[in-house]
Amino acid sequence: MKSRLSSPRKLALFGVLAALCLAIQLTPRPPNVEFTSFLTFTVGVICGALDGAFFGCFIMFVNGFLSPYGFAGLNMPFQMFGMAIAGILGGVYRKLMPEQIDSARFCTETAIVGAVIALIFDLVTNVGVGFQLVLSGTNFALAMLTAIAYGVFFSMVHIFSNTAVFGILTLPSIKTLNNLVRGEKIG
Amino acid sequence: MRRLVEKRTLIFLTLAILVWAVSISSLAGYFYLQNTTYTKQIAENQQSLNKTASNYDESMSKCNMLSSEYAALYVNYSDPPSTNFTLLTGLLGGVVDNLMGNYSYLLMNQKDLNDTYHDLLNQTIATCQRGNVSKEEFGELLSESYELFNLLVIRELSGLVSETVTVAVSACIDYGNGTVEWHNGTNLPAGSSLFQLTQEIATVDPKYYSWAWPGHIFIEAVNGKKESISYHAEYSDGYSWMWYYWNSDEQKWVSGPVGCDAWMLKDGGVYKWSFEYWRFDWY
Repeated sequence: MKSRLSSPRKLALFGVLAALCLAIQLTPRPPNVEFTSFLTFTVGVICGALDGAFFGCFIMFVNGFLSPYGFAGLNMPFQMFGMAIAGILGGVYRKLMPEQIDSARFCTETAIVGAVIALIFDLVTNVGVGFQLVLSGTNFALAMLTAIAYGVFFSMVHIFSNTAVFGILTLPSIKTLNNLVRGEKIG
Repeated sequence: MRRLVEKRTLIFLTLAILVWAVSISSLAGYFYLQNTTYTKQIAENQQSLNKTASNYDESMSKCNMLSSEYAALYVNYSDPPSTNFTLLTGLLGGVVDNLMGNYSYLLMNQKDLNDTYHDLLNQTIATCQRGNVSKEEFGELLSESYELFNLLVIRELSGLVSETVTVAVSACIDYGNGTVEWHNGTNLPAGSSLFQLTQEIATVDPKYYSWAWPGHIFIEAVNGKKESISYHAEYSDGYSWMWYYWNSDEQKWVSGPVGCDAWMLKDGGVYKWSFEYWRFDWY
């Protein structure tokens, strides 16, 4: 079976989006306002769930070493898994997208998907933080509760910002990227 | 028949509500956790305050009881001209003994107090056994004993405060040969003396002098550097350990006015031990 990424155009798109993600990750910005999940979701929509998941994993793997907040450490697998879900949801969304959809509805739906992705990503990474607390000797239930409860304000910011980013940027970016890969069989 | 709400819309509506519900639940969980933590802290603080109040009451009861005993001795010492001071010295011995009974943990753990106590007890016993005690001798013993009692009360009250309050101080040791050793941010219980700080930061060789007041302790050696004194016909001189405190208002070191065991540390205080030359002319 031929891989979707065998196309040089798609590989180039992957490279450009990966570089863009990492550049944004390294740019100073408010905590938990990020564009990686949006771009991963977009890749999922354009290239499919598998490629989206791979893209999300790859970005979080590299980001784990380059992040301005320092090496991700034990939380890296959780970040990779959380971002992979964003890519998978992109592919699933593409599959379930109707033939005809108006712009307002599309923006609303993607805004909700952005919020769901942020929520899932934060839950997964908070569980990762919880595991670190467990390893340092904290009781399992207390560690999970503490990690989730104390991460709640960051999650709120993440959910609100992702809702806005997905709602505003997904439609124009998917249109643009679709034009870029025109001629390829996508989805 | 067309559905009232499309299935797809329902799914997204459910997702939105799910995100909202989980976020709000997490927020509620956070505030619950905070509330539990603060409630626990407040309860602990209240318990600590109650304990301090209870200990304070206990301490004041002891203080009042011993004060009454001293008052009785002072009345006998001052008023009747035909008082038997040998008998009173025996009674004073009992009061001094009571100090050990009431403040044993302080006397056992704090060397300066322990030395003062035993010195006083031995003097009282020796004076009493010798008999024929004069008013002046008794007065001196009574005064010393009352001074020790006051010091014990202060230390005990300081100890009560120190359960909840600590002081952070800095100190330096100037060896007089250009070497100055700083110890910054040393934390000690409130009510600690400079002597206790010095013991904390260095190995010291203290010497007890009963005649010195206030404070009976002289530091003869710090970290192995020992004082040296020469006595001559007209003067004496030598090198000894002197202490200073930093006056932040006047921005200068001020020579210690009392013995180091009588000087209470204050939060943020800066102190210095200095090995330096001195000379005292006899005439």
